[in-house]
Amino acid sequence: MKNHLTENELIEYQFKLGSQEQQNTSHEHLAGCGECRERLEKLNKKYAALDLLREDAHVSEELISQVMAQAKQPVRQKVVPFYKSSWFGAVAAALVLGFVFLVSNLNTDKPTRQQLAKGPEPKGKAAIKESEAKHEAETARPTREFVQDTGVTTEMPTVATEPAQEEAITRIVAKETSDMIAPTKVSALDITAVEAAITPTTKPISEQPPFAPASAIELVTLPRRDKVQLTIYNSADFTLVRERRNLTLKKGWNWLQFMWANTLIDPTSLSMEPLDQMEKIDIQQLVFPARLRELGRWLIRSEISGQVPFEITYFTSGLSWRAFYMGTLSQDEKTMKMQGYVRIGNNSGEDYEEAQTRLIVGKVHILDQIAELAKRQYPYNRPISLGKMGGRGGDYDVGGMMGGIKGDNMRDSFMFVDEKLSRKEIRKEGLSEYFLYTIEGTETIPNEWGKRLLSFEAEDIAVESLYKYDEERWGNQAIKFVKFTNDEEHNLGQTPIPNGDVKIYGYADEQGFLSYVGGTGIKYIPVDEEVELNLGPARLVEIEPKLMDFKTENYIFDNNGDVSGWDEIRTWKIEITNTRTLPIQIEITRGFGTAYWTLQSGTPYDKHDASHARFMLELEPRSKQILEYTIRTYHGTREESLNQ
Amino acid sequence: MENTDKSLIDAHCQGDPAAFGELVRRYGDRVLGYLIKMSGNREQAEDLFQETFKRVHEKAHTFRGPQFKSWLFKIATNAALDGRRRSRRMKAISLNQQFDSDNMNSEQLGVIATADDSYNPSEQASKAEQTEQVRQAIELLPERQRATLVLAYYQQLSYTDVAQVLGCSVGTVKTQMFRALKTLADKLPEI
Repeated sequence: MKNHLTENELIEYQFKLGSQEQQNTSHEHLAGCGECRERLEKLNKKYAALDLLREDAHVSEELISQVMAQAKQPVRQKVVPFYKSSWFGAVAAALVLGFVFLVSNLNTDKPTRQQLAKGPEPKGKAAIKESEAKHEAETARPTREFVQDTGVTTEMPTVATEPAQEEAITRIVAKETSDMIAPTKVSALDITAVEAAITPTTKPISEQPPFAPASAIELVTLPRRDKVQLTIYNSADFTLVRERRNLTLKKGWNWLQFMWANTLIDPTSLSMEPLDQMEKIDIQQLVFPARLRELGRWLIRSEISGQVPFEITYFTSGLSWRAFYMGTLSQDEKTMKMQGYVRIGNNSGEDYEEAQTRLIVGKVHILDQIAELAKRQYPYNRPISLGKMGGRGGDYDVGGMMGGIKGDNMRDSFMFVDEKLSRKEIRKEGLSEYFLYTIEGTETIPNEWGKRLLSFEAEDIAVESLYKYDEERWGNQAIKFVKFTNDEEHNLGQTPIPNGDVKIYGYADEQGFLSYVGGTGIKYIPVDEEVELNLGPARLVEIEPKLMDFKTENYIFDNNGDVSGWDEIRTWKIEITNTRTLPIQIEITRGFGTAYWTLQSGTPYDKHDASHARFMLELEPRSKQILEYTIRTYHGTREESLNQ
Repeated sequence: MENTDKSLIDAHCQGDPAAFGELVRRYGDRVLGYLIKMSGNREQAEDLFQETFKRVHEKAHTFRGPQFKSWLFKIATNAALDGRRRSRRMKAISLNQQFDSDNMNSEQLGVIATADDSYNPSEQASKAEQTEQVRQAIELLPERQRATLVLAYYQQLSYTDVAQVLGCSVGTVKTQMFRALKTLADKLPEI
């Protein structure tokens, strides 16, 4: 008979890894060789351990619904990486430059093309235009070139000049009205050119701002979000969003339109500030045009033309975070490695890309739930017509901002001006006492996604393992605790540790396999504060108290011959068994139900409180120890004898 | 009559949301099981699950057949490998999965277990430990070997299908499988 099959051959046979010929040969051999069959059986038994992991995974309905929600979103088209081929990139760059040059010349040299393309104006707007004619005469230009930073060089409300590289997902919209059109020849692809254009021109700015009609159909460009910062509170459904966008302004009046459809932002909290050229830019009003929902327009007076960075802030709901921790005890349980994680969830309706994320620990007091504010149909109230405004106090002076357009032309229009109505306040108390965590770098948190991030990692945290036994608190089982301090000495202490669940693992053997030791929830741990983690029942440490003797004595009788005082004497024997391979320290607390007691024991103890004593014992690995004590409790008039 | 995978994909491309849902339900459990074993962590696996079906949604129009299952697992494998590269700095401990999935502490486990008449604490503890050893052993395998093992052994794909998923030859798949089994032979617990 051929030599026995090797282990490799047996594996190949069992898992059909060899050729058909090898399989047949092995099969024939096995048919006639009991020893090899036995080895094969042994091998199978070993690999049967793999089946321990053959559990069924079930997808939750929640997960399916999240996936389905994702699928409802439009597919984002991948941008073809032109730069991958250097010669192709050069050709493309030349073409783009040529196109930009051509467009630029077309716009300045042939102004009438734009007007022709506009077609006839709607009749409803004619009257408005008439009243604006004076301003138009001063400022109107037939071209409507608009520049922003995303690669969109021009916006021409003529025909299909769709922006080539726009970010369709952003929602801030730069909107122009006809009387603030000022041509710029800068290209958004060239930041230097844009900055050069930020120079005051001599053209005077009209005193009256233009009117932005509440038109539902607009042609817009979408400046992308350059930076975004999220400050997420864990005590309330409340997140502060600060985002930076480069917006292109014209000298004169500008309308900027902000839309938040299908998100959970609180429109009453919207705010916008320029980060540059502040003295030349005046943000005058935020208006919420009637009939158009989830949309606001800022009126900005600018003395410059060009690109300016703006910061837009608002509150949103739907973002949340929670902390959790994993600790791994060393084999001797004297040190612990700890990893802190945060899980951030986003159901705000908006994707936040490359967001700097800050997490706030602490309670914030808010007047309204942001989610409720976000769901309002209109930011402040139901819209009312100008004709009815007088009936509500008559102090809504919107005429100033509408360029003097009053009367019938506006009778059916609706508009709200937040400067004129009381603004919802978000009250914050003691913010400086909260702690702020900043997640390193930036993170993309798409809508309906959750993300787990590492918040800190500390090695070799010195810990004290302690077992506690207290029947009144935990019954007849020992509880394991791990104690450490959140300070530098313990390789921590850089920040407070927010509340969350902790799971502790220990090394099960020398091969490094881990086993679960216990878990608990922790509350906020300030710096330099000691923390004791309750890891649950210790199954390898057993405590068995036995009452060995009980008697009463020292009876005192009153004048009637009734018992008025006596002593009870109990002798206890507590057997403590440590079946662990490590030495342990155990704290045993005994309660006596009275404050009048004396205790005798060969083991030292502390009086923990009026009715409790505490013993602290140390046990060697795999050892037993006996704790014996006799407790005398005083009752009735005998209590007085103790005081004497 | 049950719709074929191809017909569902075609319907999805034409905007039928129900078709995509049916695909998710049809393959969801298997894909999630695969991703749990690939990532060693249910929470991460759920993220990868979303990513996988996001990619399926986005790339549906590129599917040319014939086997949707291989194509799907190929996407899941790429998502898992990408996810692993991204999350390397997080150094997630695989054991976390154990708790994420049941989210119980030892006391709760005790209560539930004692309600079951067949509960045997030492047996349960021993089985849990062995399961953990298997999980650890698989997790320590190189990514390709792990993917091969999980696809061939747990997902019961043929070596030809595994080769399609991983984009390599059948011979390479068999070599990876053999190496994985050899490594595991020393690390699997005796049961």
